[in-house]
Formats: sequence, structure tokens, C-alpha cells
Amino acid sequence: MNKKISTSIKRVDAGIKTGGAARYIGDIPFDGLLYGKIVRSSRARATIKSVSVPALPEGYYYIDAKDIPSGGRNRIEMIKDDWPVFADEQVRFIGETLGLLVGPDRKELNRLRDEVQVEYEDLTPVFSIEESEALKGGPIHGEDNTYADYRLKKGDPDAAFAKAARVIEDTVRTGFQEHIYMEPQGVVARTEDDGKLGIFFSGQCPFYVRHAVSATMGVPEDQVRVQQAVTGGAFGGKEHYPDVISTPLAVAARKIGKPIGLFFDRVEDISFTPKRHPSVTRFKTALDEEGNILGMDIDVRIDAGAYESCSMVVLQRAIFSVNSVYNIPNVKIRGRAFATNNVPSDAYRGFGAPQGLFAIEAHMSHLARAIKVDELKLKQQYLLKQGDVTVTNGRIHEEVKLPEIIQRIDEMSGYSKKLKEYTPGSWKGVGVSLFNHGSGFTGNGEQEIIKGVVKMRKRADGLVDLLVSNVEMGQGLQTTFRKIAAMVLELPVDSVVYNDPNTDLVPDSGPTCASRSIAVVGYLVQEAAKKLKDRWKESDIVEVRQQYEPPEGLIPWDQANLQGDAYPSYGWGANVIEVEVDPLTYEVTTKGIWAVHDVGVAIDEKVVEGQVDGGIIQALGYGSLEKLEVKEGRFQQKTMADYTIPTTMDFPKIKSALVDNPYEYGPFGAKGAGELVFDGAAAAFADAVQMAINGDVKQIPVTPEYIMEVREDGNN
Amino acid sequence: MATINFSVNGTSHAIDTDPLRRLLDILREDLKLTGVKEGCGEGECGACSVLKNGILVNSCMIPIGTCEGTEIITPEGLRETVQGKAIIDAYGESGAVQCGFCTPGMMMATEALLRKNPSPSEGEAREALSGNLCRCTGYDMIIDGVLKAAERGKGLW
Amino acid sequence: MVDSYRPLSLKEALDLRADTGAMPFAGGTDLMVRYRYESGAIPDYPRPVMFVNQLDDLRKIRRIDHGLSIGAAVTMTEVLDHDDVPEILKEALLTIAAPGLRNTATIAGNICNASPAGDSICALYALDAGVKLQSPGGERIEPIYQFITGPGKIDLHADEILTEIIIPEDHSTIHLFKKVGTRRANALSKLTLSAVARISDSRIDEIRIAIGAVAPTVVRSLELEKRMEGRSLKEVALEAEDILRDYDALVQPIDDQRSTAVYRKRVAMNLVRHFLLGVVLQQKGA
Ligand SMILES: Cc1cc2nc3c(=O)[nH]c(=O)nc-3n(C[C@@H](O)[C@@H](O)[C@H](O)COP(=O)(O)OP(=O)(O)OC[C@H]3O[C@@H](n4cnc5c(N)ncnc54)[C@H](O)[C@@H]3O)c2cc1C
Ligand code: FES
Ligand code: FES
Repeated sequence: MNKKISTSIKRVDAGIKTGGAARYIGDIPFDGLLYGKIVRSSRARATIKSVSVPALPEGYYYIDAKDIPSGGRNRIEMIKDDWPVFADEQVRFIGETLGLLVGPDRKELNRLRDEVQVEYEDLTPVFSIEESEALKGGPIHGEDNTYADYRLKKGDPDAAFAKAARVIEDTVRTGFQEHIYMEPQGVVARTEDDGKLGIFFSGQCPFYVRHAVSATMGVPEDQVRVQQAVTGGAFGGKEHYPDVISTPLAVAARKIGKPIGLFFDRVEDISFTPKRHPSVTRFKTALDEEGNILGMDIDVRIDAGAYESCSMVVLQRAIFSVNSVYNIPNVKIRGRAFATNNVPSDAYRGFGAPQGLFAIEAHMSHLARAIKVDELKLKQQYLLKQGDVTVTNGRIHEEVKLPEIIQRIDEMSGYSKKLKEYTPGSWKGVGVSLFNHGSGFTGNGEQEIIKGVVKMRKRADGLVDLLVSNVEMGQGLQTTFRKIAAMVLELPVDSVVYNDPNTDLVPDSGPTCASRSIAVVGYLVQEAAKKLKDRWKESDIVEVRQQYEPPEGLIPWDQANLQGDAYPSYGWGANVIEVEVDPLTYEVTTKGIWAVHDVGVAIDEKVVEGQVDGGIIQALGYGSLEKLEVKEGRFQQKTMADYTIPTTMDFPKIKSALVDNPYEYGPFGAKGAGELVFDGAAAAFADAVQMAINGDVKQIPVTPEYIMEVREDGNN
Repeated sequence: MATINFSVNGTSHAIDTDPLRRLLDILREDLKLTGVKEGCGEGECGACSVLKNGILVNSCMIPIGTCEGTEIITPEGLRETVQGKAIIDAYGESGAVQCGFCTPGMMMATEALLRKNPSPSEGEAREALSGNLCRCTGYDMIIDGVLKAAERGKGLW
Repeated sequence: MVDSYRPLSLKEALDLRADTGAMPFAGGTDLMVRYRYESGAIPDYPRPVMFVNQLDDLRKIRRIDHGLSIGAAVTMTEVLDHDDVPEILKEALLTIAAPGLRNTATIAGNICNASPAGDSICALYALDAGVKLQSPGGERIEPIYQFITGPGKIDLHADEILTEIIIPEDHSTIHLFKKVGTRRANALSKLTLSAVARISDSRIDEIRIAIGAVAPTVVRSLELEKRMEGRSLKEVALEAEDILRDYDALVQPIDDQRSTAVYRKRVAMNLVRHFLLGVVLQQKGA
């Protein structure tokens, strides 16, 4: 391990945050701030006949599509632009924005909102993948309701199935997940003194917001200035959604000429903001006489909700992850993202990978149970190695340290020993999961779409400005980016200045997502710092620029056919979880959690450990507690009392370790960590429960209700 | 409307307002004490935690009308005390802070715990903070921070 | 906008209640949520509000003849810190919300809110508790199972305030409290079991079984309890399956956002069965 970079330092933002001095979006004073309140659709699928707004008191406004300036568009330009700023003619989900009420008093705004009368002509809505596939009520999107329909093939799956001795079928489901960033969504828009539109927001991607707002307003991008505020958690939930709320707010701010804030109430946030895509994955696995896996035929379907936004990219990661760390010789995969009249699904930590990884881990464990072999042994038979072919017919370029990871976690957790000790069905169990996560954008996104740029400037006062658009949102970038720069420049960490980004002042180094900040942008920071160091003596003020270039030796990406190297490098990991199930109540007590990861090299061990702890607990919430049901297009758990994330009491202390595996194109050898750490815990938990009750667990969350079903009714 | 007399972080206030307004809103909006956060507004998350007469409460659950004659401490007040500083340092060293939105509330709950029990066990610390939700850290490092504060700040509580 | 009052004596409070119909407001942990009107806005109370938590008369825990009286404004934390409070009630209170909330919430509020999932309520049924109701004209005491008449419904007259909770001396030799919540802390109940029994000489002298959140009000059967009381463990063992079947008929849960009817039913019966067969009938001499 590179001791110097990995040795942790005190987080630079810890003090001001703990003491309450850090300013989140709702804490910043704006003179004469008005409030916005979204008027929402109460129907899941309907034609709007008319909207009638009550008489507005002095100082109150109603803003809708008619207020979009000429030259602008009633579209939110995200990865796709199918989601309108204000619903036009049709509504496609409950909660869709119809208009925006603006005024000084929030209670009055609520009252006015409740008085807006909308006349609808209802259409037949669809609320599940199955209903969508059956085209209930006619297609919502295209001809078959799929936003994307991909097929992958590796080897010769048809031949494999032709000679199979046995085919095992299995269907695995995952549910919605709500982000519950502790700070709800918030944006403020105003016209600045220089005439630009100013947007202040809580979120991940300042340049996404700038792009979306400029397109809606029909102004050049440099006429929009976006400033990120201290952000109280995001997890993907503030990757695109800030675009959805800053666009109507920008329209209102321009028209009214005063600063307007849109701050979500928690219930509003849970009810109407995007969630993790639910998924249904069907496996058919061909085995030979000895139980060797000959091939797999996998069908992945995800519920993308009412608008596509980024669902096709989520689907890509889901299908690229559905063989996880295994080299299955012959595979065919189909993946489809379905349109439904649920709230649009969008980015959430892992971006499709957790769904795919849970599915394959569950399936591998079911296979092992079906053919009565040791699960870990079965998995070890197929581990990917350096040079192996991936499902996109790319290669694994790095050394795969899974054998070391597995050995390490076995020593730490006593997995193998416990596996022998506990009898399946004795209400005690241990479970294991293996996983990997590609760092950075999928395919050629980094070089074709993002083209990230970092700048660094030596100032006259000897300090160094680090100019990037990536944001601190809790994951520690304020600390890790400064460390990378400082370490290269051989300066103290506090001589590197890195402010919450403002799009007027920093270059576009891309969004803060996809585990790319350290792995991709951090590398640019390192390279920029090297350049600056070389040129340090040139003058008082020296500015350097570094742009992304793809690593050498990759198999070029073919986006049309999804072929080539989907990711240049991967993080790897294993989790072990031990549980006890209460035979009276089917409640699960988690007795132990172990994790070993390869994140290349840790830029600050404590920051990585924080990601590990937080990612695992969030994933255990996903795997066990966080039930989110949709009924007639409405989420049934819409308060924090009913949507239950883990508390201090739900899980024991996590024991984790890192395996060093420096990556050539990562800063100091680092790879991405933020999502990898979310990827394995749900599967290990389900696996442990499965052993405790001796029944196949085929869905998450694994609630006591579901455990009862499997145990008592054997719903296999 | 009524005049409510109460003190916040040692300063007396007489505020003319509707007694049914939430203490949280009075603190954040009238007194600009934005270290008090609103995470849920329904008593679930603890981000709005303050001390009322030395006792931990959720300020989103408290109408200002019930604060007559009370002493309120917010994170802004606590951070100026030796105890508050000890907690802040211990949190910093333990890696207890990520996005930070839950953290001021966590600090208040920690202070309330240590006043009642200056050397808590891990289990007691978990119980004491069970009304403070955090989505980032998974809690382990926060609990480490509480225990570290107790150990380092021995004698302060 | 509604009025709010802050009476300084019980008498003033009773008069105000009679005159204005104001809602007693104790800890407010139900009221603030029930009438919540989104962030930044004053809750939307339908009637005037009267704070009661400052009333000294309601802030005492006292020993009384054959029992304990808990004032209506005593917080859950204060009840937990008191030595004379029966263990099963403490166990129940410890499962409610979290320390900060328990520092303001009251048992009286939990009772008057009359949620089928009220955790202290379930324990109070098992303790055979009563409530004292006062009005300017007088007072009455009702058993809790009569005071609570349905989900969110109580037999409180327009001029009354609940002033005390009265818990008879607890002579039980065994008790079991089990809350099945949505998670391990800060959780609402999917169902709850509170059960106590006094056993001497292999005989059930007293038994009370209360099951929360599986019917519109807490399930407790005086009839089934009578059937067991005064009889030997052996005799009860012979009838146990019959008794369980009768309990089964009383457990009529629903599906909601927290759990399912099927789960509630089975787990409630697992717990009752466990208490009866696994705890009570396992006492020595059975
Ligand atoms: C985050 C959170 C978690 C919770 N978790 C749980 C839980 O796990 N288990 C559980 O059982 N409950 C739980 N609750 C609800 C629980 O806090 C309440 O039921 C509490 O006990 C009510 O007490 P209070 O003093 O706050 O009541 P208030 O809100 O003040 O009043 C509740 C009702 O009682 C009436 N009332 C109050 N006092 C009197 C009186 N003296 N005379 C007549 N009427 C009166 C009020 O008018 C009102 O109708 C939770 C609540 C929250 C917000
Ligand atoms: S805001 Fe008060 S508890 Fe969440
Ligand atoms: S640090 Fe983000 S919620 Fe706790």
C-alpha cells in the first residue's frame, strides 16, 4: 500500500459541518426570496383537458409551459430529452409537474396549490414491468414500451444449450429503492447582477444543470451560472433530478425577476423523486452431467418509469454486470427498459449494477443448492482472470485479486468454518457474495461524451487553485482531491484551494457519478499537478490544463453493438454476512458483517472505510428493510416512518480490509470505490438468510414477511 | 400571537409570534441558526435535534409556545463550549462526518448522552443515537466518535 | 389560524377545555405529525390547542393504594427513569421511537391517540390499567380497554381531560413483551404482544394477554383469561390448543404499508403460542 497517500488525515470539512456552520442550500440567505411550489398531476396517465388556477393574491404567480421564453424548449435535456419541464397535453405519472406556484408564503402556496383544478381524461395506466410488456392500455412509449432493448452474446450459447444435460430456470427480483439523502432536494434561481441566470443547488452535476437550464431557456450555456451548495447526500438522486426542478424554476425566476427557492418537503421528496429501477431477471442455465455450467441465457427487465431520462445507460450497466466476476463461457443476454406510469426511475448508487449483481449472486447460490455443491467452490470455478473475455467481448486487463480477497475474507469471517458448523434450516446462516464494479462511464462515455477537463493554477500568494466541476457530497472529495494535488506538488494539503464548484470558474470535468471522480478525474488532478510542478518556477501565476485521454491498450468501444471494453478497470470485492432468524417472528439479527475490497490504492484509508461502512449499510437497507411498494402509481411508504432506512441499532460493526492492487491510470494507483461498496451486501444477506431457513431467496428486500412465506409455504 | 420569552445559546429572546410555529422554524428563520436542520419534519431523523433545558428534543416536534421560560442550546451554542469542541474533534478524527447533514443533530444527541452517562458502552451509544438517522456513514465511525469524545473528554461531563 | 392556550393550573385547563373545546396538547408527537402541513408552515389544527405539559398537577408519578398513578404530562423518559414502574411497561416504552422523542412524548398522548399500534397501550392492557378523566364537574376512572373504543377513538367527553394513568400493583411472576417493528429502533409496530401471568403452586392465579396492531383495538379476552385463571397448569395444558384457536379467531389483522395480514396473524399466534406453551406451561411443576 502506498502508505503516504493512504494514511488518513482529518477530513477538511468535518469541523464546519459538525458545528453547523456549513451552508446547505436551505441555509443560504437570499434577499427577498420567494418560494416555489410544484402543482402536480394527480393522475398516472391522462390527457389534460384544462387547468384552472384560482385567483392569485398580489405577489403570487402561476408559471407553466407558456412562460418558457421563445427560443427555449419545454424539454429537460438530460441524457435523453423526453421528460418535459411542464407536462404538455398528457401526464404520464402521478406527481408530474404541471406548473409552478410562486409567492412569499409557503402555507398560502400550499392552499393555492390545493385549489388548482385540473380536468383530465383518464387513460389506462400501467404500473409494472408485466403490464408494460403486455402493452396494457396501448404503448406509452414507441411501439413496444421499451426505451431500450439490448442483446449481448459471448461464445456460442445455442450450442451450449443443445448439449446441456440439465437446464435450471430461476427468476430474481429487486425492488425500488429511495435515496433518502438526509437533505431533501433544493434549488434557488435568480437573475444575477450581470444579467445571467444564477442557479444555486444541492447536487452532483453543475454542468448538467447548466446545460438543461440553458436549453430550456434558449440561452447560451455561458448565460447560466450554476453554483453548488454544500450537499447533504445525493447517492445518484441528485445526478439528474436537479435538472427537473431547476428548469421550471429558471423559467419562473426569469419571468418574475426575483430569487425563488424550491425546497422539497420529505414526503414530497419520497413521493415524487426518482428511485432505483426495480428489476426482474430470468436465468436459464445449461449444465452438463457433472454440474459444470455450459452457458446462460439471461433476460433482464427493468422498470424505467414514465420517462426515459438515463434508463438506457442504467440498463447497460445492469446487463454488463449480470455475469459479475464470472467467466461463463457461453452467454446470451437480453436487457429491456420498460416504460410504465410509475415515477421515472433514475440514477442510484451502482446505476444498474446492484440489480445485475444481486441477480447473478442469487442465481449462483440457487444453482449450488440445486446441484448440492458448495456455493463458494462453484463460484471459484468460474472466477474471471486477467485476459478473460467479458460479456461485451472486451477483456479484463488488470490482475484479478479475487483469490486473495476470498482467502482474506474467509480468514476474517470464518465463513468456511461456520458453513460446516451450521445446518441449513437451523435459523442460523452465513452468506457470501463476490462482485466487481467498472470505474467511470460505461463504454466510450468518457472520451466521446464527457471529455473531462481539469485546471490547476498556482496563485501569486503561493496557494494552488484546483479547478474541477466535481462536487463534495459526503464522499470526501474535498479531502481526497486536495491530498492528490498536495502530495504531487509536495505542498501542505491546506495550500490547495478547492471550492464548491461554480460553472463560471471551473472547467467541465464531468459529473460526480459513476465512481469516476477519483478514478478518472482524480487521475487528471494528479497529471495536472505533475505538469504544474514541472512549470512551478515559470512565473508567479501558472495555469495548467489536463484533458481526459483513454488509457492505452483497450479494445475500442462499439456503442451501436455494445462491444469492446465497457470499462477500463474494475474494483473487486467480497462480503460475508452472518445472521440469525427468529423462528417466531422471522426477524433477522445480523451477527457479523465482513468486507474485503480491491479499490486499487486507497486515497485516504479513512475516507474509503467510510464509503465501505456507508455503502454496506445502505445496501443492507436495500436488501432487508427498504420496502417500497407502488399501488396505482403511488408509493405506499412515503414518510421516513414507513420507508425504513437502517438506524444505529440495525446492524453490527463492520469489519473490513483492503487489498492493494495499484491501477496504472488511477491517481496513485486508485480505482473507483463509491459504488463497489454498495454492490455485495444485499446478496450476502439474502444468501445467509437462505441458509438459515433452507429455502431459496429470490427477491429483495428480504423482509420477515417474505422469509415467512419461503420458510412456511416454500414458495419455490 | 403571543410573546415567548426564552433563551437560545445563552441569549435571551422575547419573540412575538404564533405559539404554534415550530421551534425549528423560529431557530432557522427568525434567529438564523441554520445549524439546526430539517430532514423530515416528523420526528424521525433527529437532524433538528436541540437541547431544551438540557434535554434532547426534536425541534420539529416542538411548538414555540411550549418553550416559554426554557433554555435552548443549538449546535451553534454547543460548538462554542469545551464539551462541544471535544465532540467536534473526536468526530473529525473518527471519520464520523460525510455529507454532514445529520452531524449537528448527532453532536446534540452525543452531548445529551454524555451528560447522562459520561462513559457509555458501544451499545449505549447506539441506543442514544438511535433517533438520529444518517444515510452516509453506516454509523460505525459516528459511534467511534462518541466513544472517543467520552474518552478524551473525561471529566468534562 | 387557531388559538392556543397555556393554562397554568389544572383548574384553568379544565375550564378552558370546557369553554373552548381546545385539544389537549401534551408532547405533541402525534399532533405535530397528524396536522403537519409541509415544511415551513404552521400545522393545520382544526381546533384551538391547549398545552398541558407545563401543568405541575399532571407531572407527578405517585404511589397510590394498590398501585401507581402516572400524571398525564409525565414524559416517557421520566416514566422509564422511575423505580416503581412495572418492568413490562418499561420494556414497551423502550421500544417507542428514540430517546429524543421519548423526552417529549407522553403515555397519555399514546393512549388518547388510540392507535392500534400504540406500544404503551398494549402493555397497559396487560397491566389492567385505568385512566382518570377529569372535567370541571367531576372525575371518573375507566379501564383502558373501555376507554379506547376504536382506532383513533376514545371515550373522552368534550369537557374532559385525561389526568392520570392508574396501574394496579403488578403481582405477575412472569411477563413477556415483544414488539415486532419495522426495524430494530425508531420503529412503528407491525404487531405487539404484552403478556403477564402470576403462577403459584403450579396454578395460574392471574393471566393477561394483549395483542396490539392485529385488530381495530388491542386484542384482550377477559373470557379466555378467566378460563385459565385459578386452574392448574396441567388442566390448562389439556385445553391449550382450544384456547389458542379462540385467540386465533380474535386476531383479525389487515394489510397496510408496514406489513401484511398473513404475517401479522401468523406471528401474533406464534407469540401467543410461545407465551402459553413455551413460557407459562413450562413453569416448574407443570
Ligand atoms: C417519530 C415518531 C416515532 C414514534 N414511534 C412510536 C412507537 O414506536 N410506538 C408508539 O406507540 N408510538 C410511537 N409514536 C407515537 C407516539 O409518540 C405518540 O403516540 C405519543 O405517545 C403521544 O404522546 P404525546 O404526548 O406526544 O401526545 P400529543 O401529540 O400531545 O397528543 C396525542 C393525542 O392525545 C390527546 N391528548 C394528549 N394529552 C391528553 C390529555 N391529557 N387528555 C386528553 N387528551 C390528550 C391529544 O389531543 C391528541 O389527540 C411515534 C411518533 C413519532 C413522531
Ligand atoms: S426534522 Fe425533526 S426529526 Fe427530522
Ligand atoms: S453524514 Fe450524511 S447523513 Fe450522516
